[in-house]
Amino acid sequence: MRIKAAKIIIALLFLFLLLGVANLELIQGKKFRDLSKKNCIRLLPQMGSRGKILDRRGDVIIGNFLSYDVMLMPQDEGVTVEALAKISQILATPVSNLRNNFKRNFIAPFAPVIVANNISMKKAIALEELKLDFNLDNVIIQPHPQREYPFLGLACHSIGHLNEIDHWRLSKLADYGYEAKDIVGFTGIEEKFDYYLRQEEGGLSFEVDHRGRFVRLLGFRPPKSGKDIQLTLDLKVQKIVERSLNDRKGCVIIMNPYSGEIIALASSPNFNPELFMKQDPAAGRILNNPDAPLVNRAISGLYPAGSMFKLVVATAALETNKINLATTFVCTGSTRVGREDFACWDTHGPQNVMKAIPHSCNVFFYKTGLLVGPQLIYDYALKLGLARPTAIDLPYEAGGFIPNPLWKRINKFKNWFNGDTANLAIGQGDVQVTPLQIARMMAVFANRGSLVTPYIVGAIDGQDISLYKRKSIRLAFKQTTLDSIRQGLRNAIADASGTGNVLSNLAVSVAGKTGTAQAGRGQPHGWFAGFFPYKNPKFVICTFLEHGGSGYMSCVVTKQILEEMAREGLI
Amino acid sequence: MKNSFFTILVIAILLASIGIISIYSSAYQKENKIWEAVYQRQLLWVILGLALFFCFANFNYRKLWDSTYFLYALAIFLLLLVFVLGVVRLGAQRWLKIIWFNFQPAELVKIIMVIFLARYFSTKSVDDVALRTSRLGILGALILPLIFVGIPVILIIEQPDLGSGLIIFLIFISMLYLSGIKLRHIVFFSLIGCLLLPISWHFLRDYQKERLLVFLDPNIDPLGAGYTVIQSKIAVGSGGIFGKGWLAGTQSQLRFLPEAHTDFIFATFAEEWGLIGSIILLALYYLLVKEGMRIAIRTQDHFGRLLAFGISLMLGIQIFINIAMNLGLAPVVGLPLPLMSYGGSSVVVTFIALGILVNIDKTRTVF
Repeated sequence: MRIKAAKIIIALLFLFLLLGVANLELIQGKKFRDLSKKNCIRLLPQMGSRGKILDRRGDVIIGNFLSYDVMLMPQDEGVTVEALAKISQILATPVSNLRNNFKRNFIAPFAPVIVANNISMKKAIALEELKLDFNLDNVIIQPHPQREYPFLGLACHSIGHLNEIDHWRLSKLADYGYEAKDIVGFTGIEEKFDYYLRQEEGGLSFEVDHRGRFVRLLGFRPPKSGKDIQLTLDLKVQKIVERSLNDRKGCVIIMNPYSGEIIALASSPNFNPELFMKQDPAAGRILNNPDAPLVNRAISGLYPAGSMFKLVVATAALETNKINLATTFVCTGSTRVGREDFACWDTHGPQNVMKAIPHSCNVFFYKTGLLVGPQLIYDYALKLGLARPTAIDLPYEAGGFIPNPLWKRINKFKNWFNGDTANLAIGQGDVQVTPLQIARMMAVFANRGSLVTPYIVGAIDGQDISLYKRKSIRLAFKQTTLDSIRQGLRNAIADASGTGNVLSNLAVSVAGKTGTAQAGRGQPHGWFAGFFPYKNPKFVICTFLEHGGSGYMSCVVTKQILEEMAREGLI
Repeated sequence: MKNSFFTILVIAILLASIGIISIYSSAYQKENKIWEAVYQRQLLWVILGLALFFCFANFNYRKLWDSTYFLYALAIFLLLLVFVLGVVRLGAQRWLKIIWFNFQPAELVKIIMVIFLARYFSTKSVDDVALRTSRLGILGALILPLIFVGIPVILIIEQPDLGSGLIIFLIFISMLYLSGIKLRHIVFFSLIGCLLLPISWHFLRDYQKERLLVFLDPNIDPLGAGYTVIQSKIAVGSGGIFGKGWLAGTQSQLRFLPEAHTDFIFATFAEEWGLIGSIILLALYYLLVKEGMRIAIRTQDHFGRLLAFGISLMLGIQIFINIAMNLGLAPVVGLPLPLMSYGGSSVVVTFIALGILVNIDKTRTVF
């Protein structure tokens, strides 16, 4: 009896051991395997440099410079304290800070420890001299590459800035090997192409024993630098554009009308991307600035199109044969639609389409718009690329909006009235466009009927990627339509009574359209979009001034840009 | 008859070989020359142990009955000698230096106490062939043997060697149980033991208290007393199903695991051979203990029977506590794994015990 019990107890005890082993090796095996690796594998990281951002000529817009880290070889306590005291004198930081860094960054007794980073070259040289004077062999100065902004805020909206990864981006990018505390791009190229620009951390991995002594090298992975990205921006044009915009709020886009290459893209006010990396309090002020300097107005800003929209109405009317080139309406300063009087900004007399575009006559377009009808206007707006993103290779692009009767019925529970059509015909009311959409629409008239997809990245790592860009869409517009609108746009500049007459006496022949869009509050927005030279356009330009007063102001800015471009021989 | 002899011999040789392989691995990467000799020394001990195994297999165990009191006296003498001449190592005075090796008397005392208890509980009354044990009063059944066991146990615990002392005590309790003592005596004894536990706490050394507390929660002192348990669990756990392979266990090779070749040899083995190796090892140990129990059950002689039980239990308890300690399921006490851990005393005494066991099986038919 007792013997049987003893046998059972022995069997149970062995079973207990078996379960214990299985629990550790099977169920908790993964955890313990990680712990055992952590025990004996150490990493000594080495950083590569982030990819440079170049302009179309290959000039550096954003590069890297060498910043210096002070490293200390761990030795016995006395030597370490002495070295830290010397370093703290030169760096003018308290010894306690350095000690804390030393403790935090300690890897193994034979690996150098970073005690201070990002010191200037001056201090680095001073430390090197100190090493010689006091024979401090345990101090190591190591350079490491850091982002450099030679032109500070130049093209900052297209390029974006760098910062420590935030929670939202981390949750999105964790699967691609991103980790907390990584430095990633925020907005612009830096964000959109972060995966290419990003450097890969390399380093030595080695095995250590229980005292942290070196046992053997497990491997070395050379750090990889990020890929350089060449933009289609022209640094010279970009500089001219930003200089001309000065402190005015607004944006300028210069684009190749055939390929959609962005030659210059400026948004104002801008910011200094350097501040974000330095954790400067000024960076916080940028975020809270009511003028929203971080917003790229060219692609993310939504504004009423104003008179720019008249080109949509003219195209729709000519294409659908609602009017022909001879159709004439008389502008008496205002016209009655329904029960309301819709005013023009002047009294223009009899107007056909070739005259109404340069004069930007409201009455002509009210009447044409009513003839065409809202649905067709809406359709042609979509054909000309409005109300949807242009698919430029920059993040956070806005889509814009064009109202139509169905939308009004569904969302506002109201019928569409003729007054709405009249408002739509001059681009007021609910119409919202981005300046880039207007530039793209202007490119259709410049290149005679192709809707291009704008892009800003020309090559990655020296490889031309324009082949992979979306092809331009051929719009089946009649040649006469395009010709007459082009003639109208040219007249707007060339005619003495044209709205853009200030641009007439330039070295280059310009065609374009001005617009003054009523803003909800404050001064109206000023638009100008056009192309030059008129015969064989090389550039499309869109100048937008937020609360700029009128289209005339935009023309003045444009004139300044064109004059400077001509002076530098860029046209 | 031949069966048991060969089973035990084969299992013992297998286990000792596994032990040598693991010791070789645990000492493999160490830069010190002394470490390289470790497995060679163990090999010598195993060969000596095997020789003694064959000696005792042919040495009639009944002669042990006659020399019981001499052996007991020898045990006490050796333990006292340790206090006088003992070599201090790892903060404890447990070893006697004999010519060129260190000998740990506590190991020998274990087997001597088994012999002593087997004899004590198998004495017959003068006028009767029946065993005295079932009719023993509380004095004869408990108090007297407790005093006899208590003297060497206290001497061992004072060395200090809590593990060995505890083992002898556990052997005592289990032999009480199997000797046919009245159950109420055992219950009474256990109750007293429980009552004495809180008092005995005060007699423990600080490091022993620490180890017990750490057993309850290793993380209270991860770099001090809890370090061994944590590293041992990491070693066993990181082995996984197939293990890291021989000579590839980082925990033992890089010396994160202390005492990798002695008390924590199981963790070393489990790290390199994984779950499969561990299962085979446990099965071998189980077969060994079971074979011992089978010999005991089929032996008619009371002394031989109890002796065989005692030896099997002595092995079983040591195996269990040592492996449980490796898995973090028992507090860390200095206790070798029989046949595998490095250490001459343990290996030799275990082989002697197995020799006696085999001899009991051989001799039983004579009676």
